[in-house]
Amino acid sequence: MGDVFSVILTSAALLFYVAGTVGLIRFPDTHSRLHALTKADNLGLGLLILGLMAQADGWVTLGKLLLTWVLALIAAGAAAQLVARTALGDRR
Amino acid sequence: MNGRTMIPLLGIRLALLGLLWLILTGGSLDGVLLGLVTVPAACWLSLRLLPPAQIRPLRVLALVPWFLWRSLIGGIDVARRAFDPRLPIDPSWVRVPVALPPGGRVALGAELSLMPGTLVAGSDGTALLVHMLDRGQEVEQAVQAEAARIATLIETDR
Amino acid sequence: MSGWFMFLATVLLLSLAGALWRVWSGPSQADRMMAAQLVGTGGVGVVLLLAAAGDWAMIDVAVVLALLAAFAAVAFVKAQTPQGAGDPEDDADG
Repeated sequence: MGDVFSVILTSAALLFYVAGTVGLIRFPDTHSRLHALTKADNLGLGLLILGLMAQADGWVTLGKLLLTWVLALIAAGAAAQLVARTALGDRR
Repeated sequence: MNGRTMIPLLGIRLALLGLLWLILTGGSLDGVLLGLVTVPAACWLSLRLLPPAQIRPLRVLALVPWFLWRSLIGGIDVARRAFDPRLPIDPSWVRVPVALPPGGRVALGAELSLMPGTLVAGSDGTALLVHMLDRGQEVEQAVQAEAARIATLIETDR
Repeated sequence: MSGWFMFLATVLLLSLAGALWRVWSGPSQADRMMAAQLVGTGGVGVVLLLAAAGDWAMIDVAVVLALLAAFAAVAFVKAQTPQGAGDPEDDADG
């Protein structure tokens, strides 16, 4: 049961990672590309971590998975704003 | 900041940092002993670097499901657009004035950047510069709604 | 399960390689800074998969990588813009 859950969620995660890459390559301007990278890749990581939680070997691993997720979310929110602002400078 | 609100705040920080330490050290006895020193030290540093703001932790927690749900929708939305052969995006900019303290604006910016179709590129005075993936979106309303949500996390009786 | 996780890690690495093409070709500085975000999401994802496939002890690498990704993004922005701009709280006078 846990394995089925893991396979489904990690497959979905991969789909979003690939979507992030496709968006990053196809979208015509820097800010749109940033949308793709920030949102799709973060959802990918989130689903991946959820899927891996079913495989965790104890509460410490579970805690570290959650910690990684929280750190990545904070990093993504901050980085997206900073890079978006820099791109604004590039454009003008 | 008076003594009445200081004690629970200190308790919350000690509990969070203690939990973090337990996770990082794997709950071993040696780790706990070291933690008796590191956790109070980290707590002191956190109070120095991030002075107590009037944030309501329970309300922050209550917002987590909504945030996760919206970022799920955000990811699906952008993935759909990336895979669509016609590439249905029509990017544009909008300035949205928000009445939030500076820290609240940054939190709002981070949140909006993970939500469907919006990306924040800093602020201009008190207005947020929001990039939207599709001109047709109702961005202003959505931003104002999020700003109102963030505002409820901050104590008003300073 | 570990075979599946190794397979996922491989495909994820290929996807990262595709994204790195954008970092390599730019054209703007901001496109290149996205490398920091890629490490924070894709790189962390690969390490987590390897940890799940082999030894969970590797998860510490993922924790540190996620932490460093945040600092890397801030450092990139500060280093590559004049006057170290990039604070979202500054007025965006561009």
